[in-house]
Amino acid sequence: MIGTISPLGPQALSKPTSIVPEAAQAATGGVASSFAAALADAATQTAATLRQAEQMSIAGMQGHADTREVVDAVMTAEQSLQAAIAIRDKIVTAYLEVSRMGI
Amino acid sequence: MDPVNLFDLAAQQARWLSVRQTTIAGNVANANTPGYRANDVEPFEQVLDRTRVAMTATQAGHLGGGATDANYAVRQQEPDTAVLPSENTVALESELIKAGEVRRSFELNTAIVKAFHRMVMLSSKA
Amino acid sequence: MDPLSAALKIAGSGLGAQSERLRIVSENLANAQSTGDTPGAEPYRRKTISFAAELDRATGGSTVEIAAIGNDQSAFPLEFQPGNQAADANGYVKMPNVNVLIEMADMNEANRSYEANLQVIKQARDLISMTIDLMRSQS
Repeated sequence: MIGTISPLGPQALSKPTSIVPEAAQAATGGVASSFAAALADAATQTAATLRQAEQMSIAGMQGHADTREVVDAVMTAEQSLQAAIAIRDKIVTAYLEVSRMGI
Repeated sequence: MDPVNLFDLAAQQARWLSVRQTTIAGNVANANTPGYRANDVEPFEQVLDRTRVAMTATQAGHLGGGATDANYAVRQQEPDTAVLPSENTVALESELIKAGEVRRSFELNTAIVKAFHRMVMLSSKA
Repeated sequence: MDPLSAALKIAGSGLGAQSERLRIVSENLANAQSTGDTPGAEPYRRKTISFAAELDRATGGSTVEIAAIGNDQSAFPLEFQPGNQAADANGYVKMPNVNVLIEMADMNEANRSYEANLQVIKQARDLISMTIDLMRSQS
């Protein structure tokens, strides 16, 4: 479960992934069956918003996108990244706490 | 479009914008010099196409080599208003409008770089 | 040279050129009525200034230089002022070949160019600040 939430480093931002935003939408549209599935969805969506922000920024710098669109995409990415990191930290803390519990 | 590193593209655009700013400064300084023709740099899309072609020509998998020593062609503009008897083609209004465009693009560029830098730093924190 | 610093240098040369031009214009205006001392003497002769573009290898742009400060060789207009100390035998005085309206128009244009160069300097300075601000951390 922990493995699905890996730290999002610079590699994730520059390497092209094959995640399509629509697929991410479909995944989060349905009811999450378990906590693990919900977390996986959150991670996928974060990666999708980051990808979207990167594409919008590139388009914005080439003059193909509106300033407001670029700003919105980047802010959305930042928000979802912040949330994902908060979740990750909480999970790590919880795991450590559980591992410290006596058997 | 080929996948491109965001920070490299931003650096390349920042350099292009700076060269454009220098060209505008030259035009404004020489607004009253007889015989001076207004200049402008080639459009950014042309620069990107040029570097992309250069990159594919050398090695297929090689990325990110275009930002360092790019030389942007500075060409004389076509005068779109009547040419003065002194042969000077600088129009102060269009130079200032171009300067405004440069400023807006530069602000967007630095803001994007700052935001993505923040995100990378945030996700790298323990 | 860093392109933004080059822009500052180029716009600085523009400021220098335009203020020199303003100096010449104000000299002409101040002496618009300066006749000679003795009968038939030459009055103040209008000064002119011309600019030239200088391709600067270091900056890769064109600065502006003062090519020459010369004298306007057009003829002196004659005015009928018999009481003037510079009046000739017929009572005519040679007046400076300064046209106040032309000088005022020149002054307006010089001011406008000066303001434009100033704007370029402000913008180049702001762009440099923005670039350095990238390193500044928030929080």
